[in-house]
Parts: sequence; structure tokens; C-alpha cells
Amino acid sequence: MTSLKRSHASTAPTTTLSSKTYLRTLKSGKVQKIVRELYLRQDIPCSSQLCTACLDLAPPSFHRKTEPFVLSATPAATKQYPQGHYLVPDTNAFLSAMDLFETEGAAFQDVIVLQTVLEEVKNRSLPLYNRLIALTKNEGKRFYVFFNDFRLETYVQRDAGETINDRNDRAVRKACAWYAEHLRQAVTARQSARYPAVIMISNDKDSLRKANAEDIEASNLESYVKGLPDADRLLDMVASSREQRLARETKAETLYPEYLSMSAMLTGVKNGTLHQGIFNVSPYNYLEGTVHVPAFDRALIVQGRENSNRAVSGDIVVIEVLPKDQWKAPSSKVIEEEDLGKNENAEVDEDSSEAIVTERERRALQEEVRRAHGQVAEGKKQPTAKVVGIIKRNWRQYVGHVDKDSVRTRTKDSRAQQTVFLVPMDKRIPKIRVRTRQAAGLLGQRVLVTIDTWDRESRYPVGHFIRSLGELETKGAETEALLLEWDVQYRPFPRTVLDCLPPEGHEWEVPKSVDDPGWTGRRDLTDLLICSIDPPGCVDIDDALHARLLPNGNFEVGVHIADVSHFVKPNNAMDKEASLRGTTVYLVDKRIDMLPMLLGTDLCSLKPYIERYAFSVIWELDKNADIVSSTFTKSVIRSREAFSYEAAQLRIDDKSQQDDLTKGMRHLMMLSKRLRAKRMAAGALNLASPEVRVQTESETSDPVDVQTKQLLDTNQLVEEFMLLANISVASKIYEAFPQTALLRRHAAPPKTNFEELGNQLKVKKGMELHTDSSKAVADSLDKCVDQSEPFFNTLVRILATRCMMSAEYFCSGTQAPSEFRHYGLASEIYTHFTSPIRRYADLEAHRQLAAAIDYEPLDASLQSKSKIEAVCKNINVRHRNAQMAGRASVEYYVGQALKGRVLEEDGFIMRIFSNGFVVFVPRFGIEGLIRLRDLPEEVGREQDSVFDSEDYSLTLRGGKVERKVELFQKVTVKISDEAEESTGKRKIKLQLTK
Amino acid sequence: MPLDTSTYALAHLRLDGRRWNELRRLHASLSVQSSSDGSAYLEQGNTKILATVSGPQEPVRRTGRDGSSEAKIEVEVNVTPFSGTDRKRRAKGEKRVQELQLTVARAFQGVVLGHLYPHSVVEVRLHVLSQDGSLLAACLNAATLALIDAGIPMTDYIAACTVASSPSSDQSIDDSDPLLDLNGLEEQELPFLSIATSGEEGKVCVLMMETKVQMARLEAMVSVGLDGCGQIRGILDEVVRQHGKRVLEAKVG
Ligand SMILES: [Zn+2]
Repeated sequence: MTSLKRSHASTAPTTTLSSKTYLRTLKSGKVQKIVRELYLRQDIPCSSQLCTACLDLAPPSFHRKTEPFVLSATPAATKQYPQGHYLVPDTNAFLSAMDLFETEGAAFQDVIVLQTVLEEVKNRSLPLYNRLIALTKNEGKRFYVFFNDFRLETYVQRDAGETINDRNDRAVRKACAWYAEHLRQAVTARQSARYPAVIMISNDKDSLRKANAEDIEASNLESYVKGLPDADRLLDMVASSREQRLARETKAETLYPEYLSMSAMLTGVKNGTLHQGIFNVSPYNYLEGTVHVPAFDRALIVQGRENSNRAVSGDIVVIEVLPKDQWKAPSSKVIEEEDLGKNENAEVDEDSSEAIVTERERRALQEEVRRAHGQVAEGKKQPTAKVVGIIKRNWRQYVGHVDKDSVRTRTKDSRAQQTVFLVPMDKRIPKIRVRTRQAAGLLGQRVLVTIDTWDRESRYPVGHFIRSLGELETKGAETEALLLEWDVQYRPFPRTVLDCLPPEGHEWEVPKSVDDPGWTGRRDLTDLLICSIDPPGCVDIDDALHARLLPNGNFEVGVHIADVSHFVKPNNAMDKEASLRGTTVYLVDKRIDMLPMLLGTDLCSLKPYIERYAFSVIWELDKNADIVSSTFTKSVIRSREAFSYEAAQLRIDDKSQQDDLTKGMRHLMMLSKRLRAKRMAAGALNLASPEVRVQTESETSDPVDVQTKQLLDTNQLVEEFMLLANISVASKIYEAFPQTALLRRHAAPPKTNFEELGNQLKVKKGMELHTDSSKAVADSLDKCVDQSEPFFNTLVRILATRCMMSAEYFCSGTQAPSEFRHYGLASEIYTHFTSPIRRYADLEAHRQLAAAIDYEPLDASLQSKSKIEAVCKNINVRHRNAQMAGRASVEYYVGQALKGRVLEEDGFIMRIFSNGFVVFVPRFGIEGLIRLRDLPEEVGREQDSVFDSEDYSLTLRGGKVERKVELFQKVTVKISDEAEESTGKRKIKLQLTK
Repeated sequence: MPLDTSTYALAHLRLDGRRWNELRRLHASLSVQSSSDGSAYLEQGNTKILATVSGPQEPVRRTGRDGSSEAKIEVEVNVTPFSGTDRKRRAKGEKRVQELQLTVARAFQGVVLGHLYPHSVVEVRLHVLSQDGSLLAACLNAATLALIDAGIPMTDYIAACTVASSPSSDQSIDDSDPLLDLNGLEEQELPFLSIATSGEEGKVCVLMMETKVQMARLEAMVSVGLDGCGQIRGILDEVVRQHGKRVLEAKVG
């Protein structure tokens, strides 16, 4: 216990007690009076190497350390200050020109950072405060923090009626005066005449004037920099900081507008003065949202923080359309929150309320308006609205990470409660303020949070932290993150669900005796030569097919679907779980089943060589694939073979195979081509979405390669008959249950959806896009061919797909029959029947079909319109979420596969903004934003480049050669990967090369 | 947002301008309330306690087995609603308050010569008028003074203080300083312990730590704490002597 022997000096007799009293107004309106003690002392050194008086002033720390003196004895001289100088910047000098202070080289050294200033900087911007602290630790820069408010001689008491700002300015001047005098004495003691000037740096005119009056050397930044050797380069930085300062001085809004009362909103919506819809935020511009409302063809634009008034993407909002002169064109610019909001404080300043709209955001949007006036035709302006109230919040749990710049104390053992920003993975969701004591521990973690409230006076919503999912970028954490983000129920099935499974388990088989009740009402189709065709490695085989030539020259074709409804009875625990999950979710390395494995991959799965229960649709088709008759029956089948698409294709193409099974497959192939041709003729759309497959090494499941999915004829064979079965079943159940049939529709997109794409094709390629009907769309898409670029057509189809509405499940009684139409498939009626293992909608359709053919009575839940509606609502959401989760998983794995690699690939420009453009890389199915400000210097500079919104082109200037990039252009891009700062995701980064 | 404890490393100055080993101003007076048998008012920085003592007396509530041959110390802590920054009424039964009562009672049970007053009770009431850190320590110090004022025989003073561990200036080397006598802000942000000793030899009678701290830092913290208790003991002793002197002078005069 050596430390015990250490003597501990008692309370220093040198201190003088003072106290600091201030009032703090809380959000709630309460006023707190805070009294703090202040121990003023004279043992705080000046830290100038010129001074000997201060040398032994500071008592040593517990570890017997004394801090070396920081400020040079021979500080740099300038034209104005040939004797050398120390700088004392005020708060605004740091806030507006931190870059300047960070300059490498001889400028901006020997700086005294006053405690008063440090505290104010922290109040205004935590990120800038952190940069300033970093500067004080940089030995070469010689920044010294002088605790002027603790030193007796420099302490300033706030006078009655004096504002905090004025008091602080006075404190800065007093510290300057003290330093000047102190140094003069120090130098005199050394009998030398030259002592460095102490210069206050401020841009505040009033403060400069007062300094002058008090004989304190002071200068504004600009004139100070002018006197420096490297003035030209540095002056550039001053100019930009002055702009920022001007921006700050304009008055900002401090409160979001109040919401209307619920009754006012409802009345408004009823009489048409207000509109209700879902608020969607643009993924490219967090300050712009759109709302589709029935009264307008085009989506209404909601621009800026004030107009969107605390609506979060997904909320159901009520909006008021603004007068026509305030209408805007949709943003042509990428605006990202991380750019504009990076210096903001998570901690709310209790003394003053924060501005709701930051000046940077206001300017980002204003630039927009200027461009809109200059170049955008009036026709491009769209109805613009503001949010006046929220009908229903659609807040959920969000996955994200803690913004490291918002964390105040990073030491792990700090218990201080602090407010930090949580940056959600979903860019459309704003940063969330979270109060926590474990901020340091959460850095670098994937975390789950919720939003609790969004008050009028807070720029950002406030939420709380739920739990950590693990370290960023680890597979476990990222997988869980995307499952949570898309609300996928991924916990193992509970006991109650597993108890619903057949007690025989894997031993279950189709009863031998046809007297068994399982055989009641079932046809024995085990003689038919049935086979299944699926992706390779498929274990949950939903469907199987057969075809044979009938004596009359027609064909008998059967589609046999796993009889899941035999095993999953309505309203038991398993059914409830399945209806909740809605669908099986496929991730790259993982499948989250809707039904327990035993059913999905064994008992229901139409595995080859064994008998299985099925639900069969059997048609008689003529040579033209027209339906002569159709029958629906529960059955028992025995699949002869489970083919992969490729194997089936080989079998069909192999002329030497002449057995009946192969012949049947050839019939199927022939008929499917007829069906397809008819469908296309009717106007079905052949759309494209980029699909890639990630190849993984099975053991480690680390991705090794990425491939674009290939389509074979056999893919289309299966698809055609599944469509046919779905359509037949839809008609049948609608006929039986006109009010409660569970169907699927795809609404025709409003014409305005295609306007932009049509115009782009016309301007850039001289092509016409006709959109009167799906047939017209299909035909004109076929004509969008660029002989020199085969991929162009696919690109157009991808873009066209994005103009479409999404298909949805609905209950037949809720829509007029004219609304049943499936636009993309050009079918009058449609449902999902063929994948009951992995989709709940199909299971419900099975039950309805079984009742329609009098196989069993219909459960009460399937006769109630409201219950079917509720099921549809849920599965629509689940379906969409499953797709998004799948896509996110592919995205993650593509990122992992490309990790550490740098590739050059062809890409196509699919969207163009005024400050960047989006490139699609077919090989990996990825699209990425290339921002002008990230361009390499030899290619061009953002400020010199010109955007032509009419021509969809950007002229890049400022580089070696002028270069034009335009929509649909083929470009070569360099692909590398980087962990994205804002979302913490490993993302693919694209760079323009040539 | 004022500066926080992380700035300590910049100049080894704490949030209120103190150095690592400095106590806050401690002010105390005795016999401040004539209606009780003994009383004291104590300020440690902005933590302000009024302590009153009644007894030894017969216990009011007779519990079943009262065969104890020692006087029982009963402590009641009353945290006034206006003592914190947010005006909030605290329930008597609140866990923190109960724990505080128990800790103080146990500490004094060890120094009060209870066998002199069998079957009786000494009641100590601690009114927390203002809170700014080191609450337990201030309660112990105030109770010592009030008990002395009441003339309850004790083996020695109990003197208490708190010690925290400052944040390390960088992650690689641990140059954390122990910080003596915490104010409210420091207490919220730093790992700390409360320590109390009795007698000149500094026998530890309370050591309480509710936060986690690196093991390596503990020794230094305790050592600084022991020294702090010694200083406090000196101050309390001086207060008692001055008070005694005044009483004597008044009697003589
Ligand atoms: Zn000095």
C-alpha cells in the first residue's frame, strides 16, 4: 500500500468561493434554479514558455504529473504582429471556421482556448467541440485550454440584466487583457522587451468595438488571415465560413405547426378541403415526401421539415394542398441528412429552444427553387401540400446505430446520462434522439430503438433504446437487424404450434387403406406420371404437374398442389402462427418458414417416389391451350421425379428420351408456350426486376460469387401453369363465395406514373411509350430496343416496373368486379393457390376451394368479410416485408462478396439529379448513387458542372476534359466496397471511370 | 450543456474549479434547534442537512422482543421536496431512503456506547434541505455533530466523504485521478464510493460503492478517501471545540 503514504494536501487556502446561479427552463415550462459552487483560484498557469512565474504554480496531480507548458516562447510573427502573437478566438470564430483552425502548417498555432469559449462551442455543436478537443491534444498545433472562469483574476460575474452572450464576450475580453498584462510582466521579469501580442479573434462588430475601447488587440478573421503568408488559400475558407455565418443570423422557426384536432381533420377530409394518405419519404431526399390521395392523379409533394411537420415515413397523415403559386417540381437533387445535419447536437440546449428548420436545410431546398424557376417548365410543377395532422402513426422498432459524433463522453466507464442520435438503417426515417447512460458501450453496435414522441419544439423525434443486436457488420447482428427491420417473426415455433403437428412426425404417410377417413373425397391419382420442377435444392415442393394426350386429341393437364389445408386446420395455434407470419421469408443463407419444417419440407412437400396428399386442378385443354373443362379435386399423387429447371430442360431437349413422363413434359412445354403467347397477346406485361443469386460455400456460408439469375423455358413452363391454376381457382371460389373470396388484384397505374419515363424515352431515344392499356405498354416496351445495346430493353423494363402499382390481396366483397383485374397479368380475376406451404393466402384459397367443391364445410372465419379483410391487410404487409428483407439480404451478401475487391464493370445511368446520378450495374443487380462531389478531380468538380433537367444530362466540368453524362448512357464504373457512415451498412461504392 | 467531467484531463481542474484532493467548503454549527436533545446544521458544498437527536428515551413502539441490553439507534431521513433541482415529493418508503437510514443507523450502532442505556432508543432525524452530492457522507457527518450535541456517549466521531475516479485522458494509459468529495454533477457521471471512518486511527466503518470501477483504481480511491475522512474529522472537531468554547464563555460570562 504505497499510495497510503502519499500525503494529500488539504483544501487549498488559495481558493475563493463564488457561486454561479442560473435559471433553467425545462420543456415542461418549469423553471429550475440551479446553484453551483465555483472555487476561484490563482494557481492556473498561463502555460506560456515565456513565463517563469507560473512554472511551479499548478499543484501536481495524483500521479505527480505536471503539464508541460504549451504556448511557444517564440510564436510566429506576421506583418501586423512582428513581435509574434497568441490567438484568443471567440466562440463564433471556432463555430464558423473550424477548418481554418485545423489547417496544417505554420498558421493558427499558439491558440488560447478559453473555458468560456469551449463551453459555448459545446453548447452549439458537439461535433465541432470534439474537433476542438482533438486540436488541444495535437501537440504541433499548441492549443491551450485556459480555465478563465476558475481563475480569480479573469472570472466575470454576470451583471443584472446582462445577457449570457454579453457576459461571455466580456469574459473573453477580460481574459485577453489579463494575458496581455501577464505576459508583459513575465517578459519584463526576463528583462526582454519583445512580448507577443494577444489577439482576440472575433467577427462580432460590437465585441471588436468594445475590445478597441478597452485597448485589447482584436481582429476579425478575414483581416487577420490577410496578414498571413498563405493568405490566399486560407481566405477561401474564410469566405465559406462567412456565408455560413450569414445563414445563421437569419431567424429560424422554433416550433413545428400545431396539428389540427381529430374532428377538424375528419370534417376537412369529408368535405374535400383536406386529404388523407400515407406519407412516403423519398429515398434520395430526406426533406421531400409524397402522399397519394384519391383526389389527385399525381402524388402530392410535401417539401421541407415545416411542411412535413413531424410526419415519419409510413404515417397516415392529413394534408392541405398549398396555393398554386407555392407548387414545386419534385426535387432534382440528392439531399442526405448526414450531409446537412452532421454538426448538430443531440443534447437539447435547455437555455434556448432549437430551430426546427436548420439554415442549411432551408438553403438546400432554396437552391432547388431557384433551379425550378430557371429551368423547369411550369408543367413539371406538382401539387404541393403540407401536413396538418396525423391520423395514425406507423411507428415501429427501428434498427440503426449510434452516431459517434453525437456521443459526448466516450469513456466506457462513464455513467453520465446523455442524449445521442440514433441513425436508422432506413434512410427515410429521421435521426432519433435517445437518452442513455450506455452511449459509449453502444458505439459500433447494431441497436434497436423505438420512437416515443415528437414534440413541436424538437427538431427530431425522441425515442428509447431497446437492445443491442451485436457488433456492426457481423453476420448475426446484420441478419437479425434486417429481420427486425422488416418485422419478420423469426423466433422458433412455440410448443403450442408444434403440438398441432401429426403425432407420427416424419413417420406419417398416406394411409394404405382407402377406407381410412383420409381418403374420403379424394381421388387416387397415383397412376398419373406427375413430376415437379423447381429451383435446384428446393425442399419445400409446393407444386407438381402432369400432362397426357387424350384419345380425342385434346390434352389432360393437371396441376397438383401440396394439400396443406389438410394438416393446418383453421384457428388452431399453428394456423394462427401461420396467418401472423403470412409468408415464408427467403434470405440468402436462411429461410424463415411460415409453417414448421415437418410440414413444409416433408409431409406436405410433394417429394418424388412417395404418396402425398394434393389438391389438384385438372383441365382438358385443346391444341390451342384453350380450356375445354376444368375439375378441382383433393387427391393422392405420387411424383415420379423432382427436376431442377435445368434438369427438366435437358430432359425435354434430349431427343433420345421417349418415355411417357418426358412426352408429358413436352406436351406441357408446347402448351405453356401457347398459353404464354395468348397472355402476351392479351397484354400481359413482361417486366423485369434485377435478380441476382449469391453463391455461397455451403459450410461457411460466406459468399463467394454473385450471379444474375438465368431464366430457362422450364421456368416459364411452370409459371404458365401456375398462373392458369390460380386464375381457374379464382373464378371458382368467386363463383362460390362472391362476397368473401380471397383474391389478388393489380390496379392499373395512373397514366401520370409513366409520364416521366415516357418523356425520358422521347427526349433521349426518340421512342414512344404508350400507356393506354397494359397491351399498349407491353407493345411499346417491346419496341424500346437499342440495336447497339441489348441491355437497354431490360433497363427500360426495370424502370417501367417501378412505375407500376403493387399487387394486393383483397376480399371480393370489398371491390367492384371491374376492380378485380390483374393489370400485369392481363387477367380479369386472379388469386394465389399454388404455394400454400409458403404463403398464407394460398392456404386460405385452398380452404375456400375445398368448400366450393363440397369437400368440407367452410370455416366461419372464411365467411366473414371483415375477417378476410383483416387477413388480406396483414398478408399484404408481410408479403412486401418478406420481399424487402430478401432484397436487403442479397444486398448485404453482395456487399460481403465484393468486400475488399475492386472491379470495373459496365453500368447504365438510370436516374439523373442535379448533383449526382444513379448507375445500375446489371452483373450484380446493384444500383448506386454517384455524387458529383465525390468525383475524382480529373473528371470534374461539382460547382462547375451543369445540370440540364430538360435533357436529363449533366455536363461535368472542371476536370481534364469536359464530359457529358446523360440518362441511359452506358458507363464504366469502378466498384469497391465501403462501410457507409450514415447507416453502418457495408455498401457498394461506385466511381465513374471513363 | 455545460462542460462535463471529461474535461478534467485538460488542466486537472474539476467542474467547480477544485483540484483532485480538495474538499468543498464545509460549514457546520451545533445546537441550532432548542426543542430537541441535540441538533446540528451542516453544509458540505450545497448539500445541506439539519440533524436532530432525541433520546436516549423509552421506545415508543414496543416491539415483541425487547430484551436488548443496548440502546437502539433509529434513523429517519426526510428528503425535502425542494432539496433537488426538480421539486419532487419522495415517498418515505423509497428504497434509496430506506437504505440510507439503515446505513447511518448501523454505522452509529458501532460507535455509540449503547450499553449505557439498555432498553432505550436514540432517534436521529436527518432533514435533507438541499442535495448536491455526497448525501450519505453529509448525513453521517451531520449525525455525528447532532449526537455529540445531545451528549450521547460515543467512542469517537464518524467522519465521512466520497471519492470518485476521474476519466482517463486516453485509453492507453490509466492516469485517472481519485477525486475527493463529489458534487452532484460529478456523482452522476463518475464511478464513486462513500467512505466513513471513526477515530484518529481511521477505522473504516462504512464503505459503500454502487457503481463499477476498474479494480486497479480502487486502492488509490480508498487511500484518498481515508485521507479525506481525516480532514473532515479535523474540521468537525474544530466545530465542536469552537461551539464548546462559546458555550463555556456564555456560561462564564
Ligand atoms: Zn504565467
